[in-house]
Amino acid sequence: MALPISYHWRNLFVRKTTTALTMGVVAAVVGVFAWMLGFSAALDDSLSVASDDRKLIVLKPGATAESNSAIPIEDYNRLNQLTELARTDAGSLQSPEMLVQISLPRLRDGGRTAANVAVRGVTETAFRVHTTVKIVAGRTFNPAAREVIVGRAAAAQFAGLQIGSTLNLGYSGDRGYQIVGHFSADGGPLESEIWGYLPSLLNAYNRTMYSSANLRLRDGADPKAVIGEIEGPAIQLSAQTEPAYWQEQSRNIRTYLGIANFLVAIMCIAAVFSIANTMFASVAGRTREIAMLRTIGFSGGQILTGFVIESVLLSLIGGLIGCAGTLAYLQLAGSTKDMFGSTTFTTLAFDIRLSPLIVAKALGLVTLVGIIGAAVPARRAARVQVVNALRAE
Amino acid sequence: MNLRLLYLARNLTRNRIRTALTCAAVALPIIIYVLSTAVVEGYEEFLEQAARELRLAVTQRTSIINPLPAGHRPKIESLDPTGARLVAVCGMRWIGGRIENDPRPLSTLAVDADTFPTSFPEYLRSPDEREAWVRDKQALIIGRGVAGQFGWKKGDRVTIVPSVPPYTPMEFHVVSTSEEASDPLTNWFRRDYLEEELRKSGAPEGLVSFFFIKCGSKADLDHFRVAIDALFARSPDETKTQDEKTFMNEYVTQQFNLPRNLRILAAVTVFVAVMAAANTMSMNFRDRISEYATLKSMGFSGGIVFTMIQSESLLTCAAGGIAGAAVPYVLFTHTPMKNFTVPLIQHLDIAPAVCGQAVLIALAIGLLAGAWPSWLAVRLHVVTALRSLE
Repeated sequence: MALPISYHWRNLFVRKTTTALTMGVVAAVVGVFAWMLGFSAALDDSLSVASDDRKLIVLKPGATAESNSAIPIEDYNRLNQLTELARTDAGSLQSPEMLVQISLPRLRDGGRTAANVAVRGVTETAFRVHTTVKIVAGRTFNPAAREVIVGRAAAAQFAGLQIGSTLNLGYSGDRGYQIVGHFSADGGPLESEIWGYLPSLLNAYNRTMYSSANLRLRDGADPKAVIGEIEGPAIQLSAQTEPAYWQEQSRNIRTYLGIANFLVAIMCIAAVFSIANTMFASVAGRTREIAMLRTIGFSGGQILTGFVIESVLLSLIGGLIGCAGTLAYLQLAGSTKDMFGSTTFTTLAFDIRLSPLIVAKALGLVTLVGIIGAAVPARRAARVQVVNALRAE
Repeated sequence: MNLRLLYLARNLTRNRIRTALTCAAVALPIIIYVLSTAVVEGYEEFLEQAARELRLAVTQRTSIINPLPAGHRPKIESLDPTGARLVAVCGMRWIGGRIENDPRPLSTLAVDADTFPTSFPEYLRSPDEREAWVRDKQALIIGRGVAGQFGWKKGDRVTIVPSVPPYTPMEFHVVSTSEEASDPLTNWFRRDYLEEELRKSGAPEGLVSFFFIKCGSKADLDHFRVAIDALFARSPDETKTQDEKTFMNEYVTQQFNLPRNLRILAAVTVFVAVMAAANTMSMNFRDRISEYATLKSMGFSGGIVFTMIQSESLLTCAAGGIAGAAVPYVLFTHTPMKNFTVPLIQHLDIAPAVCGQAVLIALAIGLLAGAWPSWLAVRLHVVTALRSLE
């Protein structure tokens, strides 16, 4: 028979100050950890939506992003010879696109800073290539009018993107386009963009070249083979699958997250020490009690487990407080973030959320911290010399 | 007096594991504090450096990716024909770039060869470097960080594939590794070479991504920031002029607001250290409550007990603080770790001032941690405390 949980639970409240302070330490560490997990997860979620590897992004060789690629129309036309593309009645699914950007104020800080929001010129084919794009409010743009539609994430984070308002686009920022709809893209990076009709935008930005071509492959086509064909002598363009493209764009921010992760790891060690300290004190203060438990038949192993359980309980409560704190912080300070592509110079907007999985991961870390912190003190408890301890005082 | 010191020393060594764990629990957050502060200060130093150079950055009004005509340069220069207030105008074109078969992106700019040395005096410091820049159309100045990452050195021939037109590989000769510049990651080459390559490929010529303008004084800087935008207002190519510091800051915080996040992290870690140390002091108090009562019953004043507890707390935290400040200092100044690179700041300089600051913070942590227990000890009611003993 093991020691009842209620025994450990009550023990936590014998030394209230110590318990509270230790929980505080754990809570602070877990709070930061949960925020960072939330950040990485939001980023990954947004990018994993863009992980359709039957979608290829074609750029001019050498270009690192759609925003610095320029494909002359005769180069683009060479893509017509590809046989592995998906087809509909309207033709093969190859979408010529142009990408420029507009500087828009962030709502999060009241417009004090501005973000570079992508403006994409597309044709009807784009909606069949980017299958995740769906109009969620209003309607799609009319090619014959100066109209654009706006991604859901962009509309939520940047100023002036409500349906009905006018956006000044064009090279000199003097062509008014009316916003007629909002679209979703399963939470992917396209949701941070503004879409309009390609010929109209090419004209507004004095451009004669496309930025990229987005292709959808037919079922069963091998992306590698198609990429090889595109990069071969007959076409001479460069192509990447969608996941590869976005992985590259988030490279910078991953370095920063790596640094932050390293710092949190150091904080975890500090938390381990703090818990160890508390548990040592707990063991030392209860030597006689432990000896008593041993005499009435509890084994050393049970005592050891008991202390580990106590430490884990302590850490878990601290962890829950930490997660709650982070949740409150996200509510108060706002959970919207955006990221700048390494070489796109355009902004990817996303929303940090503490999903159950993130909370579970944070609590998993906390449990680990609790177990490691308790390991040495609990061993000491298990080895209490019964006779000596009972004789003392 | 000696007796008191001895008592203090005994108190500290009474529970060695506890003292050691507390020191460590203070030292680790202090390490984080020192590292984050060093990064933040490095970043601020980078911006200050940018501000001291008295340069303006002129971009196209609606977006940094829209180019401006190179023909803006004489128009801007005509704002001050004497050249005293408006020292030099340097047009630049961003080409990004990569080397073949290597995914690491480069940051490479084509610049006006004639005005670059005056606009950016922190580059091309030696006469022979300057001479090579003037003589060789394919001259390339590389950042010292780039030199480290790719193992390039002066005299090397390197091939860079631009990320924008003409997209064809361009060969360069490294003439300088810019040892004294604050920006370690940018490479610079002559714009006339780029124009030549653009002409060969038939891509549009005569465009720049932005202009950098060296001004004579702070007053000139403020004057031209407004004057340049006014000059091009209502033209097809309107401009947006910012000082270099604002321009850089906007560019960097766009990517990820690392300084802000590190400041928050540093604050949280200090909070962690306070709680960890306070925990120890409150455990000590609990363990020694009868002792404090005895001391007081023997006639020692509350002040002495107070000092005793505070000194113990201060000493423990100071030890942790010194260790926590020393580790990163030694690691990043005297071991191979000093080559560790952080984006933008590149070299992580742990300034002694930051270490001193960290030790002061550790002392403050000690004061805070000892506050509650020492206050309780002063207020301790001798009779009640002694009676509560078993």
